[in-house]
Amino acid sequence: MNALADIAIKLLRQREVGLVLLILLVTAIVSLVDPGFLDDRNLKDILVRSAPTVIVACGVMLVVVTAEIDISVGSLMALLAALMGLMISHNEWQLSMWIGIPTVLLCGTLIGLLTGALVTLGNVPSIIVTLGLLTAIRGATTLLMGGENIDGLPDELQTLSKVGPAGMPLGVWTAVAVLIVTQIIITHTPLGRRLFALGSSDYSARMTGLSATRLKLFAFAYTGFLTALATVVDVPRLPKIESGIGSGFELLVVTCVVVGGVSIAGGRGRLGGVVLSVILLTMVRPVLTFLDVGEAGEKWTKAIQGLFILIAVITDTVVSRSRRGGARNTSSRGTQVAVPRDATGGPAA
Amino acid sequence: MADSLIQVDRLFKSYGGVHALENVTLDLRAGEVHALCGENGAGKSTLIKILSGVIAPDSGEVRIDGRPLPAGKVHATEDAGVVAMHQESTVFPDLDAVDNLFVGRELRRWGGLLLDRSAMRKQTSDLLAQLGEDIDPTRPVGELPIAQRQMVAMARALSRDCRLLIMDEPTASLSGRETEFLLQLVRKFCEQGVAVLYVSHRLEEVFQIADRVTVLRDGRLVETRDISSINTDDLIRMMVGREGAELVGRQARTGSFGGDVLRVNNLRRDGVFEDVSFTVRAGEVVGLAGLVGAGRSEVARALFGIGPCDGGTITVAGQELPTGSVAKAMACGLALVPEDRQHEGLVLPMSVGANLSLAVLRSLTRNGFVSNRLEQELAEHQIAALSVRTAGTAAAAETLSGGNQQKLVVGKWLASRPRVLILDEPTRGVDVGAKAQLHRLIRRLADEGMATLMISSELPEILSVSDRILVIREGRISGELDGVNATPEQVLALALPDEREVAVPS
Repeated sequence: MNALADIAIKLLRQREVGLVLLILLVTAIVSLVDPGFLDDRNLKDILVRSAPTVIVACGVMLVVVTAEIDISVGSLMALLAALMGLMISHNEWQLSMWIGIPTVLLCGTLIGLLTGALVTLGNVPSIIVTLGLLTAIRGATTLLMGGENIDGLPDELQTLSKVGPAGMPLGVWTAVAVLIVTQIIITHTPLGRRLFALGSSDYSARMTGLSATRLKLFAFAYTGFLTALATVVDVPRLPKIESGIGSGFELLVVTCVVVGGVSIAGGRGRLGGVVLSVILLTMVRPVLTFLDVGEAGEKWTKAIQGLFILIAVITDTVVSRSRRGGARNTSSRGTQVAVPRDATGGPAA
Repeated sequence: MADSLIQVDRLFKSYGGVHALENVTLDLRAGEVHALCGENGAGKSTLIKILSGVIAPDSGEVRIDGRPLPAGKVHATEDAGVVAMHQESTVFPDLDAVDNLFVGRELRRWGGLLLDRSAMRKQTSDLLAQLGEDIDPTRPVGELPIAQRQMVAMARALSRDCRLLIMDEPTASLSGRETEFLLQLVRKFCEQGVAVLYVSHRLEEVFQIADRVTVLRDGRLVETRDISSINTDDLIRMMVGREGAELVGRQARTGSFGGDVLRVNNLRRDGVFEDVSFTVRAGEVVGLAGLVGAGRSEVARALFGIGPCDGGTITVAGQELPTGSVAKAMACGLALVPEDRQHEGLVLPMSVGANLSLAVLRSLTRNGFVSNRLEQELAEHQIAALSVRTAGTAAAAETLSGGNQQKLVVGKWLASRPRVLILDEPTRGVDVGAKAQLHRLIRRLADEGMATLMISSELPEILSVSDRILVIREGRISGELDGVNATPEQVLALALPDEREVAVPS
């Protein structure tokens, strides 16, 4: 019995296992109610909706790993969407989207860099910096759009959102590419290891000669770039650009990162958990639709997503408590490994 | 000098007008262990930080083989062969041993783009094997016991091509046997021609291992001496710069005790300690000795209700104490000054006054509000009674030196007027002067009738302060000694795990 419980705890300690189980459970229940949930179109739709969140979460995860946070990505997305719309709309500046897209990517990266600079060089806590930017950038967007929606987006952009290899739109493939690149950064580059090291102990990092400034600048700039990329992926799906676009997105992303098992204290987390939690949280709305709870569905989405944060944090605490208990046991007896208990107690005879 | 490897030449460093280092010059020779001594605040840490490239001096330079070391650059300094093992906390707890060893100077492939994980893993295993450690290199280091964490830090230093190894309090959290092992390793490096700069508050270690010793005081160089030309008293005098700062003499004890205040019967925590029974009388200091990991702290924590306990009884002044409740332990008159004062003893950013009143807030309230006047009175009284050196009651606890922080923790618990005071490593990381003051304080409290249980890894401390000594080995009390007549050898013999099962002389 004990052994079984041990295995269960060990498995549940892997956040990914819990998330997969939860996704399967939810899918099973919903498809019993309405088999249409398993329809290709619906599953594809969930992936398409997940794509921008996955892309941005890759950046925010690296920020959180360094023990900082970025809650400005929703507004940044709106600003970049407005900028892109203005540049390429028939009714506005009528530039080619091949100018618009790189410009948006560049701007996103620069704003991310600026955020990082305020945090590191300005020595302001990132929660304050990005809280300020959240409001300021939203305001800048309203000014830029002059209170009007932007429509007249070129058709070629719309098609870009629909076509793609293996029946998957380009957005999903972009997300896959970002995942691969981010995973390589995390596990196979010095940069990734140093980001985790910095988040694990900034004192040790200083004593080791790691540059906290450079590492954090990278994490924020990468987040800015990925936010721009997510904008480019997401805008073509929209008939027109409204100023409210992306509001609440920053919290969804942070939710996904936390639910995905990334330690808010820095130093710990895996990409797999983040991706799974994005999918899980993106499923909430379609699941409610299929369960046919009607009007109530819309209203419940946020509440349920919020509930996941609480569940994630509580399991985190429970699991780490059991782990710490285990570690203390080993440390209290660890120094005596040279003398097995049997050797001292046993051979008295 | 022909064999001089490192020259430290007229270093100056000040922080906001205060001189941390003033005109410090010394040389380090290849193959020597050079001890660096001084009270807290003497400038040791600043010197180490400059040597290891964490900070740059205001003026002066450090040369290796006559070539100046780059100032304030950790990587370049390490490349030149100067590697520092800072105090125990310089590991990355969430990273595994491999990453801990190599972060900052990773082995790479693919033109430097990607990590060479397998090569790093192999080197890590080799280095740990060299140190005689069997550590899973893929386990987060934070989950390892402290001694093994220390070995990871050591392996990290070794993985650099090291010519000067700086060790800052490497044994602060190690048991006697682990310390012995570490010192052997240090000797081995020296035989290979490495210079070791060794910082420790444990003077017996300094005498055991050092060839020469340099003493700093108030940021200035006092003297560099051959260790063979001085004794402990000389060294302490050089450090404190005044006479009479010796440790409390063993004869300072009155030897008259009251009745049993604390009675512990068959206390047991499965797999950690068992069959622990002892008493502490009023006015008595009972020293609890043993190796780190023998279960000393766990016993103390179980007594105070923080740590788990699976059986046994605790009686305080005739009243049985239910286990597992700090509130009830406090109500019965128990107080625990924990081992980790920075995390468990104090709230560092809070003021000295607020820290002192924390355990007795309820008694300081009037009409449900904390009375500032009562709090202030308490704080001023405790600061005076314990001679805490602080800028005032409003200063943050973190601005105090280690010794004064420790006095603060003691003061916080004395405010609750305990009957039994449990001290877990009361002078760890505290400078010699403050240590002597704390020892005198413990004795004074005992003379006033306090029943004290003191855990310590430092034999001189146990021997000079305790009236009675209990030794724990592997979770069991292995013996009891009279504090006045016990010898270090006796304590150690009871503390060390004994494979031979010596026949006990009757």
